[in-house]
Amino acid sequence: MTHNLEQEILGIVSTILEKKPEEMPLDAHLVRDAGASSMMALEILAALEKKYKIVIPEENLKDMTTINNIISMVEAAKKKR
Amino acid sequence: MPLESEDIKKIIPQRVPFLMIDRVIEASPEKVVAIKNVSTNEPFFKGHFPDEPIMPGALMIEAMAQAGLVLYRQKFPNDKLLFLVSVKARFFEPVIPGDQLRIEAAPIKLLSKMGLVRTEILVSGKKVAEAEIAVASRDAKA
Repeated sequence: MTHNLEQEILGIVSTILEKKPEEMPLDAHLVRDAGASSMMALEILAALEKKYKIVIPEENLKDMTTINNIISMVEAAKKKR
Repeated sequence: MPLESEDIKKIIPQRVPFLMIDRVIEASPEKVVAIKNVSTNEPFFKGHFPDEPIMPGALMIEAMAQAGLVLYRQKFPNDKLLFLVSVKARFFEPVIPGDQLRIEAAPIKLLSKMGLVRTEILVSGKKVAEAEIAVASRDAKA
């Protein structure tokens, strides 16, 4: 389950960043290392909300720095739902 | 709450001949419905095209973006000028003089300083264009 979630989120993030999933280490900094912009962060957030039917508050945007951080955030949000 | 032309000018900065919505018939943070009557007199028809008037797709995007901006302003009335960041659009039918555009905009996600909206244009109930539009203010940085 967790592994699936990891792969799904990796897929979502790499599609939006236009990278290959294998080029995206889970602990890479998305802005510094992967060239993400704030608009890409917004697209990632919107895609996650739609896919997992969760609500991610605006304050969380600044914590979405790595794929690992995004996975923990989604897991926490799914528990709250 | 319907908005007439003068009310629209209070919430978005575009002006004739670049104001692409005539009236807003529904406006809430969840949905905006705007109307644009496309007349033979539109300045762009003179050149697009001289013998076959068709509304430029770029201006249909502009109309959808302006409806999106009205939507954004329903949630954040005082945010600064927003710039277009990305557009993913599809066009299904040409728009010609006499068409009435019903431009609908709904939020995907609206945050302070940036927003992502889903928009479409209908003519006589038929979808002629759709777009996912992202806007942000210049100082939006993550």
